Amino acid sequence: MGKVQHLNKLVLQNVSFTYGGGHETVPVLNGMELSVRTGEFVSIVGPSGCGKSTLLLLLAGLTRPTAGTILMDGREVTGPGVERGIVFQHYSLFPWMTARANIAFGLKQVRPGDGSRQLRALADHYLELVGLAGLGDKFPSQLSGGMQQRVAIARAFAMAPDILLMDEPFSAVDTKNRVTLQELLLRLWDEGDARKTVVFITHDIDEAMLLADRVVVMSARNGSVLKEFPIPFERPRLRGAIMRGDRYARLRNSVVDLFHEDEELLLSDGVPEKKGQ
Amino acid sequence: MDLVKRFLSPANLLFLLLAATLLFLTPSRHGAGGNQLLWFAIAVECFYLLCLLVIRDRIRAQTAGDLTAIMYSILIAWELATTRFNLLDPMLYPMPNQIMTLMASDAKELAKGLVSSLRLLLAGYFAALATAIPLALIIGWRKRLHSAVSPITRILGPIPPIVYIPYAIAIFPTFRMSSMFIIFIGAFWPIFINTLNGVFTVDRRIIDSARALNVGESSMLFRVILPASLPSIIAGANIGLVLSFILLTAAEMIGATSGLGWYVKYFSDFADYRRVIVGIIFIGLVVTVIIFCLDQLEKRLLRWR
Repeated sequence: MGKVQHLNKLVLQNVSFTYGGGHETVPVLNGMELSVRTGEFVSIVGPSGCGKSTLLLLLAGLTRPTAGTILMDGREVTGPGVERGIVFQHYSLFPWMTARANIAFGLKQVRPGDGSRQLRALADHYLELVGLAGLGDKFPSQLSGGMQQRVAIARAFAMAPDILLMDEPFSAVDTKNRVTLQELLLRLWDEGDARKTVVFITHDIDEAMLLADRVVVMSARNGSVLKEFPIPFERPRLRGAIMRGDRYARLRNSVVDLFHEDEELLLSDGVPEKKGQ
Repeated sequence: MDLVKRFLSPANLLFLLLAATLLFLTPSRHGAGGNQLLWFAIAVECFYLLCLLVIRDRIRAQTAGDLTAIMYSILIAWELATTRFNLLDPMLYPMPNQIMTLMASDAKELAKGLVSSLRLLLAGYFAALATAIPLALIIGWRKRLHSAVSPITRILGPIPPIVYIPYAIAIFPTFRMSSMFIIFIGAFWPIFINTLNGVFTVDRRIIDSARALNVGESSMLFRVILPASLPSIIAGANIGLVLSFILLTAAEMIGATSGLGWYVKYFSDFADYRRVIVGIIFIGLVVTVIIFCLDQLEKRLLRWR
């Protein structure tokens, strides 16, 4: 408790999550422990089925853990809250609202006193910030996947949350746009007085390493943290220079090895049986 | 060259055939006179030629032409079977000219019937919209209510609303009230069931996004669930409207003293089949206009898709 606890924005204590009920329960997370410091950028990677998306729903308060507790600023998370902004891979935006209206609708939830003109002006400001000035009247269906995610990011930042939770936000975007979006995210994260705490779920190891202060590798075998890697590169990070370096290659190899090891063990186990309580 | 080809369409050839029939074939039925059909055909032809000049898309121009051609074929067959060769009973099968004359001379009567019918229709239909949509939103959103209500809708929904007519006439003091009730019932179930379905099948991820924004209960229902299920709601509203129009005319034929259904029934009692046909054609036109307006509204409401 005390000092260390205070610095931690998010703390997961022995968190488990099980699907279904009765006789057929499927364990997804099993006694997971994790702490995220205030202002830290954490990437969570793991093979599909390791429960990383479930973890994000738990952090968001959209689902409750079967056992264990999730603490935010020392208080237990019991539901969604505006201090946590979320960007999903799909359907972060409402398809029937224009880009501007999507952002304004989010803003309305945190600034109920503001008039709609003020909200629209603020929405336009954030659209400009993500490079979509003048596209406020477009519906999501009229925007490319990358543009849609820009709007979702704009909304998340506009709502000024302490924590940003992102579930594979760039997975459905083509490689070139993904890089631009990663840079945009880092730029917005770096700007302003205090950095937001970010939990970023991805299956892309390079993406995780380029963005995060710490990469957390989850296991598909036992639904908890396999290993954590601090990422030492200085910010602002220069993508090309970092990726060409030896340190990057070594770090990347050890993450990849861990992945393969986990998958092989999973195969030799036969069934994806997870460690019991 | 291409334009010439365009003008050599079946529709234009059939127009010439119709005009030739009207101008050169001697009528054999008594009382055949006037050029109403000819003027009507000329008006249609002018409209069609205008379409040909305006429509750029080849396929759409073709469709417009084919539709016009079908219409000309029907008019030619009708004219030949009645006015020109008198193959059909003059009492049951009036001539096109007679129908057109009546259409114009009875216009006031028809308009009065239309107003009377629309007042009934709109009252019943809007009452159904105003109750079915909010109810279905709330019930669909609450899991427990949904589980309880959906078996009931499966029993009550499929009862053909037409069977309520005699009972409704018995329990309500006026004919207007009973027909409004019937129209209400007829429109209510399709709108209610479709909305319920729409709410129940809203993408989980959309609901999660809304919950993540921490929206309140009423915002969730009316700014998220309602627009998300709008495509199903509109589908239900379309079915409801068609059904309520059927019920309206059925009810009017049974007990009304005005309205379009009454017009058809009243004159058929006097064996005035000309006016019966006029009524049927007029009802067809009204339904077409209503459906067209609804299509436009749908396009506008769902422009985000």
